[in-house]
Amino acid sequence: MKRYFLKKLSLISLIFIPIIFLWHPNWIGIIGTQPYWPLFWLLPWSMVFGSINGLILGLFLGLILDSLTLGGSFTQIPGLILCGVWFGRIKINGPNLLGHFRYGLICSFGSFLCGTLYFFQILVKTFPDGNFLLYLPSVKNILAEVFLTGFFAPLICSKLLKLFKFSKDKSSIINFPKY
Amino acid sequence: MLDIRRISSNRWWHNKKNWILFGIFLFLFFVRISKGTFYKDLYYFLSKPFWPGQFQKEVIVDSVDQESLIKLNLLKKDNKRLRELLSLKQSSENEAISAAVISRKTGSWWRQLILNKGSKDGVQIGSTVIGPGGLLGRIDNTSLLTSSVILLTSPTSKVGVWLDRVQINGLLVGLGDDNPRLIIYSKDSDVQVGDFVSSSPASTLLPPNVPIGVVISLDEPIQGQKTAQISLLAKPQAIDWVQILQVKS
Repeated sequence: MKRYFLKKLSLISLIFIPIIFLWHPNWIGIIGTQPYWPLFWLLPWSMVFGSINGLILGLFLGLILDSLTLGGSFTQIPGLILCGVWFGRIKINGPNLLGHFRYGLICSFGSFLCGTLYFFQILVKTFPDGNFLLYLPSVKNILAEVFLTGFFAPLICSKLLKLFKFSKDKSSIINFPKY
Repeated sequence: MLDIRRISSNRWWHNKKNWILFGIFLFLFFVRISKGTFYKDLYYFLSKPFWPGQFQKEVIVDSVDQESLIKLNLLKKDNKRLRELLSLKQSSENEAISAAVISRKTGSWWRQLILNKGSKDGVQIGSTVIGPGGLLGRIDNTSLLTSSVILLTSPTSKVGVWLDRVQINGLLVGLGDDNPRLIIYSKDSDVQVGDFVSSSPASTLLPPNVPIGVVISLDEPIQGQKTAQISLLAKPQAIDWVQILQVKS
């Protein structure tokens, strides 16, 4: 049971994303905006398990978060799928690794991508009414989210990456010797 | 002849009573000259414990409250009768459900509350949610034990509202920030800062005359529309308990 739990630790930790998303702790927000929590989990997951897994879990996360948020007209799925695929292409031991702060930069870009895609959906939907210009000041939501996500990512992503690597090692049945 | 001499002790100034009377006279004379100042000041100290204090104030305030309540009930009955005649929507306060806020997203694009009452408790989709201050939003979906409220500030929220001073309808649109915009489809309307916004008396979605907010600034007209920024009276970021009003036709 313990071994199974350790093997699936990375997947089990997915449960906490919607909980934190709903919890919405105001004390770490700016102008009521929170960091984009799913990216903190998706970045290490995709880096450890690759682009395809990143795409699939990005889709799953999007489905879960869309079900928790209102307004069936808008979705977070495209942004999370794109981020999942992109994050999967980043090598853990790649030559560009500049330390933990790199995670902050990557998550900031990811958050910007997701926020912009969501914002464009709102603009496209309100375009026929002619009111879409009213929504432009809401861009500050994206900027606040980008800043907060980039700020917290180095801390959270590096810890989760360690956890996921540990979990992956436990889940491999045959450990081939490295030559 | 007997020389009758008056005994000196019988003279009037030897009589103590006379002096007392004289003293009283002097005192009254002083009172008369001072126009009762001394009396009034003495009365001030003597009557101080019996002044109309907090208790009497409460009695008067209670009376005024009772009077207002009676008037309000009469007006409600009148209003209900008239709305029935016009076949408009109405809300029954007897069917209000109190619910606690268990999740609150009041920032970014997703602006919603999750309440601890769901379909099990009779909460229906479309019900109006009010809190201290006025309208918060509407129930968007329900689960067995919870219900989600779409806040007026959410980008997906659009509600018809009423400006009482200028007697005009408008559309309240959430933009994803704390101040939703009021769109008025009439360039000539005389909307001013400080105008009070409430739910429309002719609304088919919301109960009538629920307070919503106040106009805090006016924007430049765009494409023949006037827009104004609204400050909501009910603050979802600070409210822990809400009332769900079941709308019945």
